[in-house]
Amino acid sequence: MATQIEVPERLTFPSNCETVSADMRIPEPSLDAALLRRLYSYMLKCRTVEERIRNQFRQGRFSGNYFAAVGQEATEVGVTIDLLPEDTIAPSHRNFITHIMKGTPLNLLFAQIYGRNTSPDRGRSSPAHCGYAALNIITPASTIAAQLNIGTGIALAYKMKRVPNVVVALSGEGSTSLGLWHEAINFAAVHKLPMLVVIENNGWAESVPVALQTAVADISTKALGYGIPGATVDGNDVVAVYRAAQEGILRAREGKGPTLLECKTYRWYGHSEIDPAKYRDPAEVHEWKRRDPIPRMEAYLDQRKLWTDEWKQELLAGFEKEIEEAIAFAEASAFPEAEEALDHVFSFSIRDRELHRKTWEPVLDQRR
Amino acid sequence: MAVMTYIDAINSALREEMARDDHVFIIGEDVGKMGGAFKATKGLQEEFGVERVIDSPLAEGVIISSSIGAAMEGMRPVAEIQFADFITPAMDAITQQAAKLRYRSAGTQTCPLTVRVCYGGGVSGGLYHSQTNTSWFIHTPGLIVVAPSTPHDAKGLLKSAIRDDNPVMFFEHKKLYRSVKEEVPEGDYTLPLLKASIARPGKEVTAVSYGYTLQLTLQAAEKIKQQFGAEVEVIDLRTLAPLDKDTVLESVARTSRAVIIHEDNRTLGVGAEIAALIAEEAFDCLDAPIIRVTAPDIPAIPFAPPLEEFYMPSTEKIVTALEQVLRY
Ligand SMILES: Cc1ncc(C[n+]2csc(CCOP(=O)(O)OP(=O)(O)O)c2C)c(N)n1
Ligand SMILES: [Mg+2]
Repeated sequence: MATQIEVPERLTFPSNCETVSADMRIPEPSLDAALLRRLYSYMLKCRTVEERIRNQFRQGRFSGNYFAAVGQEATEVGVTIDLLPEDTIAPSHRNFITHIMKGTPLNLLFAQIYGRNTSPDRGRSSPAHCGYAALNIITPASTIAAQLNIGTGIALAYKMKRVPNVVVALSGEGSTSLGLWHEAINFAAVHKLPMLVVIENNGWAESVPVALQTAVADISTKALGYGIPGATVDGNDVVAVYRAAQEGILRAREGKGPTLLECKTYRWYGHSEIDPAKYRDPAEVHEWKRRDPIPRMEAYLDQRKLWTDEWKQELLAGFEKEIEEAIAFAEASAFPEAEEALDHVFSFSIRDRELHRKTWEPVLDQRR
Repeated sequence: MAVMTYIDAINSALREEMARDDHVFIIGEDVGKMGGAFKATKGLQEEFGVERVIDSPLAEGVIISSSIGAAMEGMRPVAEIQFADFITPAMDAITQQAAKLRYRSAGTQTCPLTVRVCYGGGVSGGLYHSQTNTSWFIHTPGLIVVAPSTPHDAKGLLKSAIRDDNPVMFFEHKKLYRSVKEEVPEGDYTLPLLKASIARPGKEVTAVSYGYTLQLTLQAAEKIKQQFGAEVEVIDLRTLAPLDKDTVLESVARTSRAVIIHEDNRTLGVGAEIAALIAEEAFDCLDAPIIRVTAPDIPAIPFAPPLEEFYMPSTEKIVTALEQVLRY
């Protein structure tokens, strides 16, 4: 059962977690048709891109690892669609696909996966850790809750500069156990910072189930302890996520402070591409696959005569073409030069002194 | 010119920088109404308002990480860590985020923040109000680590730190705050961040130090001159990372002898690095073994006076070391 908790300023989030297992119906929204169709097509694009990335990894086309959010698209799309270019996304390891909603070109994303010199960070961060300065996506550290913490400062600067921008921070339920998480939420609450703090509760932090992470049923109830609004929504219902996120984002833009939004969802695959996830009950995985956010939205759009299989195939063909081009771009791009490893440590170059050891001779005439 | 204490110099640098650039703001524990535990930010909240002098929650991690984010967004935060001993909750923010952001984004995202850290012993502060942990940060590429030893340097270097595009750890020795006074220009001036200075020229032995022990080293140099007539060249590192290697090595090439003095622990302190550097690049210049005068490798500064004295470098300990290399 989801809990709608008492908060200083109560929100009206449509918390429909209860309805998920009953009939998996998406609630009647008052969203316009074009938006509904875009929510759907973004989910489809994210799924298509990530399944392709996984495939590329299995084929050994890139090294490292990847953290797929397959199964979690409703959350990823619902909280990041329609942000302004000046708004910031503070992503974690599992939020690579939020780039798609923000508008980072697919070419750059595949160059990132491939570690090439055309990627936003010129091959520095590992594949799923991608930032993009031009669209205010923080280049993520792997440290859990790090970008949420940095995001508080970006939000503080927005507030100081009196601009109506927001920071959307995403992290998993595992992040909420860290002291760092607490410091960030508390600080954002005290200073009424323009933030939407999204907890993607996918039930697992690597092999650790959520019950060993927290003793609360709904992570959003933690909001109460910080004096901010919180809500839990069905993270596989893109409309519910979107409406809740919009409410939080609006509050933030209006200077009313941060909102904690928990989206209950599930990752279909292992923690990463090298994790067979043997620790999970196959029945659990099966049940969550039944709640796949994409067919649910299809059924809903179909009811409203907003979906045809033809349109879907058209979308898929478009995505495939874009992906092919992006892969070709990435594979044609060079790796960075080895000595570039010495660049961007500081605002000035350290190459010269690092590469050339000096030899000093005694200055004899000055000796005792 | 005005005669200023070290703390006055810090306060005046902060005030002038805040007046010069409205992106500069201060955040830390008790920095507002109270003006900081040591009064470094005294009067600034009154002058610039609560938005620009922020009394943070008691949370070092988010003091630094919020500063990182604000810096990314074009602000110039100056964060205060009340005691170096309590910087550990901010270690992720400093070493994993501030130090690596420019690198991990290939220069596309940067965080020009200044972290003022009050450090150092010799004040009966005990285990948790005396620590010198500069080595942790020297060992973290991506951070500029500054530790001025005089009021004049403190003001000029703090202004440079605030204007610099890199994250700067700015270590202020609490024993220097009120113990040294000197003439400091009243108006605007800056000092180069990556340059050591020759605090006292000499030609028979090079003594390298920074911060409070630099003052002790100057006293020791004077004693050596009086007792032995020998001229000690005292180098004030000013910036501990990245190190101004050439100023040190050029001096050793002239003097052929080196003593390194610091209050941080011995193992992997900046003295170890400098000794290795001399061995690698100026081996032929040496006429005597290199000696380090440092704190011993014990966890922190114990409280009782004889214990604290045992820990701290002193003028006498430095004189003994200088004498030893001069006699070699
Ligand atoms: C501070 C920290 N500790 C441990 C790790 C290693 N690690 C990476 S992801 C992860 C699990 C994260 O779980 P969760 O927050 O629920 O996010 P999810 O992977 O489910 O999206 C762990 C333990 C890390 N990156 N950072
Ligand atoms: Mg999880």
